[in-house]
Amino acid sequence: MKAHFYWAGSIFWVTIGIYVAIHAYHLGLGHLRHPGPGFIFFGAGFLLMILGAIDLARTFLWKSKKETERNSVWLGIRWQKITLVVVVLSAYVYSLNMFGFLLPTFLLLVFLFKAIEPTKWWIATTGSFITTLASYEIFKVWLKVPFPKGFLGF
Amino acid sequence: MEALQNLFSGLSIALMPVNLLYCFFGVFIGTLIGVLPGIGPIATISLLLPITFKMTHIQAMIMLSGIYYGAMYGGSTTSILVNIPGEAASVVTCFDGYQMARKGRAGPALGIAAFGSFIAGCLSVIGLMLLAPTLAKFALRIGPPEFFSLLCMGLTFVIYLSSADVIRAVMMAVFGIILGCVGQDPEIGSLRFVFGITDLLGGIELVPVVMGLFGISEIFSNIEKSLEKRSIFRTDIKGLFPNWQDWKDSIMPILRGSILGFLLGILPGGGAVISSFASYGIEKKLSKHPEKFGTGAIEGVAGPESANNAATGGCFIPLFTLGIPSNVVMALLLGALIIHGVTPGPLLMQKNPEIFWSVVASMYIGNTMLLVLNLPLIGMWVQVLKVPYKILFPLILLFCLVGAYSINNSTFDLAVMLVFGVLGYLMRKYKYEGGPMILAFVLGPMFEHNLRLSLLLSDGSFLIFFTRPITAVGMITTILLLISCIVPFIQRRRKLITTEV
Repeated sequence: MKAHFYWAGSIFWVTIGIYVAIHAYHLGLGHLRHPGPGFIFFGAGFLLMILGAIDLARTFLWKSKKETERNSVWLGIRWQKITLVVVVLSAYVYSLNMFGFLLPTFLLLVFLFKAIEPTKWWIATTGSFITTLASYEIFKVWLKVPFPKGFLGF
Repeated sequence: MEALQNLFSGLSIALMPVNLLYCFFGVFIGTLIGVLPGIGPIATISLLLPITFKMTHIQAMIMLSGIYYGAMYGGSTTSILVNIPGEAASVVTCFDGYQMARKGRAGPALGIAAFGSFIAGCLSVIGLMLLAPTLAKFALRIGPPEFFSLLCMGLTFVIYLSSADVIRAVMMAVFGIILGCVGQDPEIGSLRFVFGITDLLGGIELVPVVMGLFGISEIFSNIEKSLEKRSIFRTDIKGLFPNWQDWKDSIMPILRGSILGFLLGILPGGGAVISSFASYGIEKKLSKHPEKFGTGAIEGVAGPESANNAATGGCFIPLFTLGIPSNVVMALLLGALIIHGVTPGPLLMQKNPEIFWSVVASMYIGNTMLLVLNLPLIGMWVQVLKVPYKILFPLILLFCLVGAYSINNSTFDLAVMLVFGVLGYLMRKYKYEGGPMILAFVLGPMFEHNLRLSLLLSDGSFLIFFTRPITAVGMITTILLLISCIVPFIQRRRKLITTEV
């Protein structure tokens, strides 16, 4: 299972290469005198597939060395925090059109100030409040960025 | 004489108050991000690209260029005081700069870094001013096959010099080309890899991709471990002006570094990082006391700091004369030009000479501003270093989000940024390079366009790439570089000098 996890990168690129090459074939390769829309994609996808396969073969052949490296890559890493940040950012992107700029941004900043490193609540909330208002002033009022209003109207 | 006339014309534009303000803003921000570890010129230029939409193309280029060479100045401060390079081109400055600080000579180290950078910056701008117009005239004579081979060569140089693992770097470059060509086919308009998403009809936007790949992933890399407090070496920073002996020891390294940095900056794949390492190696070889390097030799600060600044001037030559970026930062500037409706290429200097000459003039002004900023304001930069990263990163993240949204006022760009942020982070963990990918992403459409045109011209024969002189040189160089990567002893030597772009 550990080895499968480490090969994931190479397999990912091989899969991308195969997908791109197949899709490009359906787009139409044209011919050498007049390349079609799929020409560059087919060549790139094919090359990506080959190189990915070579990378995969190297990983498989040098498995014992790479497993040690793989273990050290994630050792001591707070991947749960990273995952949490990604989930919260996804929620932020999703909620922006629904709730507007101010509320989601305030909540996002409170989370970021508080959840990653220990910070007092009053610092997190005050800082988030000031930052949200300042960024609204700078980007919306001065730079005229049309933020979504959401159902709250602001 | 013509160059001087054009320079004065550029000065008349660069000295306009609003342009002076943007120049100052650019070099100030550049110095700031050079001081701050954790964010570099690539991420910063990516973050500030949306702001430039409100500016003219000249103002945008002046500001973004200022950020690039300003970052080279700022990076030396943290290298010398904290032994942490502010950005990659200042890694070498840590070797001797920090040792000088430990011996109570932080002031002369910071001073010679600033003065050396100023001299090198000015010399490289002179080189840019004299060389670029000549090269631009030559570039008008080259056609699609020559362009294609130059693109291949440039991409291969970046891959060859920037990554220890060539196979993975080539994979990333190929993937970048795929991403760059997404959207409508430029000839017949068929939709390619848009998946029914109307936001993708015009292709994937550059800004969210680079923000995600470099900005967001950088944040993830920084927060994955506990954010420890940085300790600044406690020393009185006094006597910023180097003494007579310091100047005597440093002047030749500064001049050598300037020439070396400028020439390496011109080469595709070259740039500030490689220049600084090369300069350090050369100074150590030429020194009468090489054993002093690593213990606080001022030559080890003067040479590399001059080289990395001189490289910033050289880097502009392929961009302005051929429209081919020589590194990732130049690729972003190319993207900025395209966003502002300017077509980069050999005709740029004919159709829009004001862009080139005003940027050149602004670089003279910017280098002077940087000398003024860096010496008296070192105390302020030291205070900036004390801002905890746990306060900084939410602000940087918010800036990324707003910046990405402001391009098309679409949350789709935010989603793209987030996807590339995660991808960029995973790529860092598994040692896949983002630099070749972004360079290829920007060059992808040019790559395809010139390839298709060349095949049309040659009636489908690939021999066109080997029968024309310039094209043949480019393609043979590309092939030789790639082959050399598999020769073991050359591979070992290359890995010794490889650095991250």
